[in-house]
Amino acid sequence: MERIFDFLKDLSLLNAVSGDEGEVRDYVKTALKSANCDIETDNLGNLIVFKKGKNRPKNKIMLCAHIDEVGFVVQGINSDGFISLSAVGGISDSVVYGRQIEFKAFNAGYSAHGGSSVTGIIGGKPVHFIKGDEKDKQPKLSELYADIGALSREDAEKYVCLGTTACFVSEFAEFGNCFVKGKALDDRLGCALMLDMLLSELEYDMHFVFTVQEEIGARGAGVAAYSVKPDFAVILETTTACDIAGVEGEKQVCRLGDGTVVPFMDKGTAYDRELYNLTFETAYRNNIKIQTKTQIAGGNDSSSIHKTAGGVRTICLAAPCRYLHSPCCVIKKDDFLGTRVLAEKLAYKIAEL
Amino acid sequence: MNIKETLKSLCTPPGVAGCETAASKAAQNLLLEYMPNAQVDSFGTVTGSINYDEKLPLLLLDAHIDEIGMVVNYIDGNGFLKVSGAGGIDRRALSAQTVTIWGKTPVKGVICALPPHVQTQKDAAQTIKEDQIAIDCGFTKEEVEKVVSLGDSITIDAELTELQNDRITARALDDRAGVCSILYALDLLKKSIEPPKLQYNLAVTFSSQEELGCRGARIAAYNINPDLAVAVDVSYGDYHGCKENKTGKIGGGVMLGTAPSLDRELFENMKKTATEKNIPYQIEVMSSETGTNADVISLSRKGVKCALLSIPLRNMHTPAEMLQISDIKATGQLIAEFIGAPLMAISPPINAG
Repeated sequence: MERIFDFLKDLSLLNAVSGDEGEVRDYVKTALKSANCDIETDNLGNLIVFKKGKNRPKNKIMLCAHIDEVGFVVQGINSDGFISLSAVGGISDSVVYGRQIEFKAFNAGYSAHGGSSVTGIIGGKPVHFIKGDEKDKQPKLSELYADIGALSREDAEKYVCLGTTACFVSEFAEFGNCFVKGKALDDRLGCALMLDMLLSELEYDMHFVFTVQEEIGARGAGVAAYSVKPDFAVILETTTACDIAGVEGEKQVCRLGDGTVVPFMDKGTAYDRELYNLTFETAYRNNIKIQTKTQIAGGNDSSSIHKTAGGVRTICLAAPCRYLHSPCCVIKKDDFLGTRVLAEKLAYKIAEL
Repeated sequence: MNIKETLKSLCTPPGVAGCETAASKAAQNLLLEYMPNAQVDSFGTVTGSINYDEKLPLLLLDAHIDEIGMVVNYIDGNGFLKVSGAGGIDRRALSAQTVTIWGKTPVKGVICALPPHVQTQKDAAQTIKEDQIAIDCGFTKEEVEKVVSLGDSITIDAELTELQNDRITARALDDRAGVCSILYALDLLKKSIEPPKLQYNLAVTFSSQEELGCRGARIAAYNINPDLAVAVDVSYGDYHGCKENKTGKIGGGVMLGTAPSLDRELFENMKKTATEKNIPYQIEVMSSETGTNADVISLSRKGVKCALLSIPLRNMHTPAEMLQISDIKATGQLIAEFIGAPLMAISPPINAG
């Protein structure tokens, strides 16, 4: 099972903001060289992978994970070299101030800098200049600037241009008792899980889609699902866990260590009831920890998949993840490994439905 | 002396106000090369001295060794750590940061934050309150208590990273940059081809607990009993949207402080030295006290003539502090030139002995 964590680490450290997912796409293609599967890249950049199993399934099954992550895009470069950013995807204003970010390299063809990425820091007015009530106000990203050490707009333009994307810088590390922290575990975790499956022998034929642009409205997945036209789709994800200090009861949504999260409903989908029950049954039969969400919160690629091509029956298996969309996503290893096992068992059950 | 390497040695060890041991030891080791009697006093302040000639007045060079941070003050039932700020932490820069708790062994943690999926607009618009800060170490209460004790210090992880144009970012540049500039001055004096005719006996303090109210410097200045002193600290660097007259230009050279609480003659003397020796400098005007160790050193015993040199710094008190190396060099050069060749006689020092 170490392979899956190597994938997770490598993938977490790659930078692939929505719409600029090339790094992860290339990594996945390379990782699948020996997987004996068919890989297609569609017009939006989704990777559509088909792998033959030992048997033909009764139903066409598609597994799905998104390759993009939340991040930033250069919105403006000021005359003094300070860079204005917009968030790509949902990033809370509370997790941007005082962070390092990495700007993606230019296309070397038109960059004086020669095409390597540069580090920037997001900051603002010093805290000492802020008086009274303003101290309790979290500045908005639009009031902050990224600073790469540039002296002027012309100087900054050697390294970044309008539209350049940037990601959080965050070490991938194990900590505590079998916890893992890193950026973009949403949804490199799903990608690592699918890579691990694709490099294994499968019982049934199966489609896997590595989708783009999930963080800006599940845009890639709908298109990928249209190409595949599956009967059933299983979305492999991370989901908001709020089991932290000061949060009680249903507000925790789900808890690390309590196993795979299978929502009955979120902001984008009312999940297929039969699949929902089948998932719990499969987990219980195989002694895999499973829980549901206690809030209708978040959404994922299912929101567009289930409405595609006359309708696709969907279910989501997610690893609970704290501090989603921040530089420090935190998961528990057992939840991830349990989800890996459950995904395969469930897919085979669906194949036989 | 390689400034970046020295800064790295100084900034890597933790030295949260009141818990300076690791940083003080690192600074002591560096100081030993120039002052064989360098030691750490009972309050965590590094001290050292050179006596050239009994008749010369004693000049104290001071920078503070401590940094902004937090201390553990409670462990809740689920193993989350509650904390207090040590010094004026910038609460805008805390949520979802990776931290190290300096327990029996270093422990990694993440500052708890609500993800945008469950955060209300009101939550997002407010900075985290000090009593809401909690740290997730991935341990249960029982597990965490084996390695973390109440009173352990906490720093936010932020590795020293190079930006463009000789600029760097790291935590604790406030005031390890000042420490570095003093070491650089000593290095220049030691390596000058013609031994400079030193005008002073020298004492150095890298003082503790500045961020808690300049406590270490008060104690050390009494013990050292200098005739005059130069405090070196950081000050506000220029920032997009900040008033130019309130900030120093990054890369604009050493900031030479003038204030009612500083010695005017010493200021003029420094200014003249900088001008004559072509050292880039900029004037920082303050209208009362300075908020630095100069405030307490000047009041030691029967009073000490004090000058204040500052290195312009962005994002002060956040993990993304940023400065330009050339400003540290200019600061060190000015100190070295001043010690080697003051251009005008200073009125006879008051011997406070």
